Amino acid sequence: MANPTLAAKSAFLGVQSLKHPAFTIEDLSSLTIASITSAKGKSAEVKAAIQTAYGVALPDTPLRVTGNGIAFIWHGPDQWMAIADRGTNNRDIEVELKPVLEGKAAVVDQGDGRAVVRVSGTHVRDVLAKGFAIDLHPSAFKTNSVAITHAAHIGCIIWQIDAAPTYEIAMFRSFADSFMDWLTHSAAEYTGRH
Amino acid sequence: MTTQTNRLPAGGIVDRSRVLRFTFDGIAYDGHPGDTLASALLANGVTLTGRSFKYHRPRGILSAGSEEPNALVELRTGARREANTKATTAEIFEGLESASQNRWPSLRFDVMSVNSLLSPIFVAGFYYKTFMWPAALWEKLYEPAIRRAAGLGRASDSADPDTYEKATAHCDVLVIGGGPAGLSAALTAARSGARVILADENFQLGGRAIDDASEIDGQPAAKWVASAEAELSKLPDVRVMRRTTVFGAYDGGTYGGVERVSDHLASAPAGVPRQRLWKFIAKRVVLAAGATERPLVFGNNDRPGVMLAGAVRTYVNRYGVKPGHRAVVFANNDYAASTVQALAKAGVEVVALVDSRTGPSNEVTAIARAANTRLISGGVITTVKGGHAVKGVVVRTADGRSISLTCDLVAMSGGWNPNIQISTHLGGKPKWDDALSSFVPGALPPGMTVAGAASGALGLGDAITTGSAAGASGSAPVAKAVNESTAITPLWRVNDCSGKSFVDMQNDVASGDIELSEREGFRSVEHLKRYTTLGMATDQGKTANVNALAIMAELTKKSIPDTGMTLARPPYTPVAIGALAGHHRDKDFKPSRRPPSYAWSKEQGAMFVETGLWLRPSYYPRAGERDWLETVTREVNTVRNAVGIVDVSTLGKLDVQGADAALFLDRVYMNGMKTIPVGKCRYGGMLREDGILMDDGTVARLAENHYFITTTTANAVKVSQHMELCHQWLWPELDVQMISATEQWAQYAIAGPKSRDLLRNIVDKEFDISDAGFPYLAVGGITVCGGIKARLFRLSFSGERAYELGVPARYGDALIRALMKAGEEFGVCAYGSEALAVMRIEKGHISGPELNGTTTAKDVGLGGMVSTKKDFVGRMLLGRPGLVDADRPSLVGLRPVDRSERLRSGAHFVARDKQVTAANDDGYMTSVAYSPSNGHWIGLGLLKRGAERTGEIIRACDPVRNIETLVEVVSPCFVDAEGEKVRG
Repeated sequence: MANPTLAAKSAFLGVQSLKHPAFTIEDLSSLTIASITSAKGKSAEVKAAIQTAYGVALPDTPLRVTGNGIAFIWHGPDQWMAIADRGTNNRDIEVELKPVLEGKAAVVDQGDGRAVVRVSGTHVRDVLAKGFAIDLHPSAFKTNSVAITHAAHIGCIIWQIDAAPTYEIAMFRSFADSFMDWLTHSAAEYTGRH
Repeated sequence: MTTQTNRLPAGGIVDRSRVLRFTFDGIAYDGHPGDTLASALLANGVTLTGRSFKYHRPRGILSAGSEEPNALVELRTGARREANTKATTAEIFEGLESASQNRWPSLRFDVMSVNSLLSPIFVAGFYYKTFMWPAALWEKLYEPAIRRAAGLGRASDSADPDTYEKATAHCDVLVIGGGPAGLSAALTAARSGARVILADENFQLGGRAIDDASEIDGQPAAKWVASAEAELSKLPDVRVMRRTTVFGAYDGGTYGGVERVSDHLASAPAGVPRQRLWKFIAKRVVLAAGATERPLVFGNNDRPGVMLAGAVRTYVNRYGVKPGHRAVVFANNDYAASTVQALAKAGVEVVALVDSRTGPSNEVTAIARAANTRLISGGVITTVKGGHAVKGVVVRTADGRSISLTCDLVAMSGGWNPNIQISTHLGGKPKWDDALSSFVPGALPPGMTVAGAASGALGLGDAITTGSAAGASGSAPVAKAVNESTAITPLWRVNDCSGKSFVDMQNDVASGDIELSEREGFRSVEHLKRYTTLGMATDQGKTANVNALAIMAELTKKSIPDTGMTLARPPYTPVAIGALAGHHRDKDFKPSRRPPSYAWSKEQGAMFVETGLWLRPSYYPRAGERDWLETVTREVNTVRNAVGIVDVSTLGKLDVQGADAALFLDRVYMNGMKTIPVGKCRYGGMLREDGILMDDGTVARLAENHYFITTTTANAVKVSQHMELCHQWLWPELDVQMISATEQWAQYAIAGPKSRDLLRNIVDKEFDISDAGFPYLAVGGITVCGGIKARLFRLSFSGERAYELGVPARYGDALIRALMKAGEEFGVCAYGSEALAVMRIEKGHISGPELNGTTTAKDVGLGGMVSTKKDFVGRMLLGRPGLVDADRPSLVGLRPVDRSERLRSGAHFVARDKQVTAANDDGYMTSVAYSPSNGHWIGLGLLKRGAERTGEIIRACDPVRNIETLVEVVSPCFVDAEGEKVRG
């Protein structure tokens, strides 16, 4: 990029982070995300191309797989989200994937369409249970599990990144503040008044 | 000095080392941690707690649990005032203020108790029979008067200051009830490694084992309960939830619960909700909800001081309280006899044990003898003496003699009803059990087992055995305990009593009302319930239903199972609306969506309007502007004469790719999309399958196999669903990939004669945006502000030269600021949805009011766009006679004959020479605006045969505002009819 004169802004206009042993929130506003949707009958070619380029086998079930500096989130039959950090070089995953998947899949930039938070802490499951109806117990939802669900009337994709446990939650950008309102209210029991 | 005259010196599980002060009707009393309001009142010798619903009869405390029909009180004051709270479940806390309800001016002297004197005429069905005529008086006089007279408590008028939450918990085994059966089930389930949730409505686990001070494993039940709780609390996958009522069974192993997190505290701690609504999702459920004791039905059985025998034991054993000083126990079963023991141990004189059965069992005889209590076998109480309190009873002996006994407490027991309600919520019919004289669970919801008293296993030993087996199949009992004798011979009512014999105490339904119901032909249980209101109070007739059913069976000479049973519905006990709402109240009722310009617009002082969930700027008032109309007029004039900017990010956007994308869009839209050249946009419309216009928007072809379409804001989700259906179900063979990109792009419309000049300051130099290089309907990928990727569309909704510029949404805030700065030299202004609407009405473009689910493309002037060369969704049904009827209303423009008059949307059209009647209705005004460009009000409307009526003067009649305006039918396009301005 030349010398852009526009500054990027987080989707979260109010609270962007919370640090408490019971519950932490981190706004992941520097992600680059692209959706991958296989062309008809070409999911095997898509998987092969991703395997070659990133050494990662795309999953057919709600799972997250990770490669070097990149993760792929299952997002529906023959659909995935590629996620990476923009970093200092302003990495653009859409631009990167297009040549890899030319003629095999539709690649669409989604990095700005989604707001993503990372949550953790000793009470993280208790807080999330106040909105997510899915079972996040380790016997049902493990590291790299993915679910497309909703919380507080807001559509969400949630995945677990480690056994702490730490989760990342993506929602459509315009819902960011409503989601954060619900999240901070729900955490207040453990973190003190929001 | 303590006020607690009736507190025993020892015993029970209240903490006598701490004193809590509370008030009831303004008088201060002492209690202890572990007390309910009812136990604390009884400890203070207070037995009169309220007035009944209909007759305003004095009432006291009947039970010790959530079945309580009488002791309903108001708790707290001000915004937290809460009506109809059961004194028997409310925990006291320091400073609690409580009050009796349904009395005026005072509890002891209540004016409305005159109703009681009139009770011979206030029988069941009285209101319906009496207040029939004239009908108009029902609403104006009878109902308000009856409501005032027969009210319960008063809710606070203020907003609830507390917060509520909802949460979900998953488990292998949900145990409902924490008595001996429930604890046993939880223990065996937990020891087998299951994820267990144990929920009990009470704040103390142990159920009747605590209430009866039973022995388990040779030690006091309280000790065993504490050790069971300690074991459960150590396990990571076990959650013990006290103060949590499981109130309903729902499909798929889902159970509703409400946790009273802070009800027992003066106010909720910071961040902690008052209550939490739980959705439990369980693979298996053990219903161990216990049983509820039945009252006996005899004269004046509702007097303060007449209590359930089991409750009397609870007050003595659990709370260390003497509910009276001289007691008579009246029962039809063995279990109740233990009340004599408990009272005697507490130092209460038990005058008599009146057992309605003629042949007393050895146990009963032994208990009476040990307590030195007179046993009256085959006797019944016919009436209770005393008004505000029990003063004595009249007993009819087996040989028909009447004996008067002096007492201040009557402990009664008609047997026990298993708490089967949750087993019936999904339609499972209960079964009658002759030995128990009660209903037991029948067909159960999938995954449910019933244990303990809820299953009919009333004895303590059986409760532990059935509970242990229910928690993990095949488990041996977790503890040893003996079974009490629970033998019973039913007595459903005492005949020839003096005074009313109540069956449903909360709704004031007496035995005589059931007789009346039977005489008048309301014999089915469903009719009985509706005619008498029996079982329809907030307690759902927990203490009333079986007695009522049995009395009806007796009257109709049928068996009880043949008479029927009304099924319980959720909730088991009332649930506060606040808990059901949770976080979602006031501004959080629904989430709101904020467009990229939100923060900047807020800074500008913009007014916002809710469009679905979106908060869109509606106009941007400036200092000195008198009203919205002046602001909007300024915004329109700025766009028409210079340049304006509006956030159009809320429009739905879909990215459509694939080898068959063009073919797919051709089939979805009514007009052709295959023929759009790459780099161009086209306006399009799509129909529902029934031929009605569904949505309109633009289609841009970014590459051979790559389209980018927009929808209206309101229909974004609907269109997306429709297209997914078309792809997944109608034409799965097509190679098409679709994904929403609505939120990816911050998109601004830059409209007005100076729009290109403004853009020149933003778009990077290497991109040609001259009219030759970037003509009307062009689209292209560009960069702005030094290399930020962007998309530029030359589209216009305002009728002016206009562009839509999209950048990745994270730059949306910075872009609106940059655009406003770049436009300063041209006099730019931001405009909102109001000015947007004015300009589209001036151009005759349709929007929500015209795209209303009843119009065809032809109706709104888009008939020419409907392709005849291809097939598309809606084509077949578009030709239906009704949709091609020449009489159909079609889109016209309207202007007032007297140009100074204002138009009103919703006004109906009537020809000038016709009467204003529905039969002469020719259509209606869909949209109106003050048009700054014309200097007067203008409107769009759907007018019968509208296309033929240009130039006609018709009437626009607004019966709501009682306004009639003469309007002229004109073209719907009021500005730049030739469309030259958009091309520049």
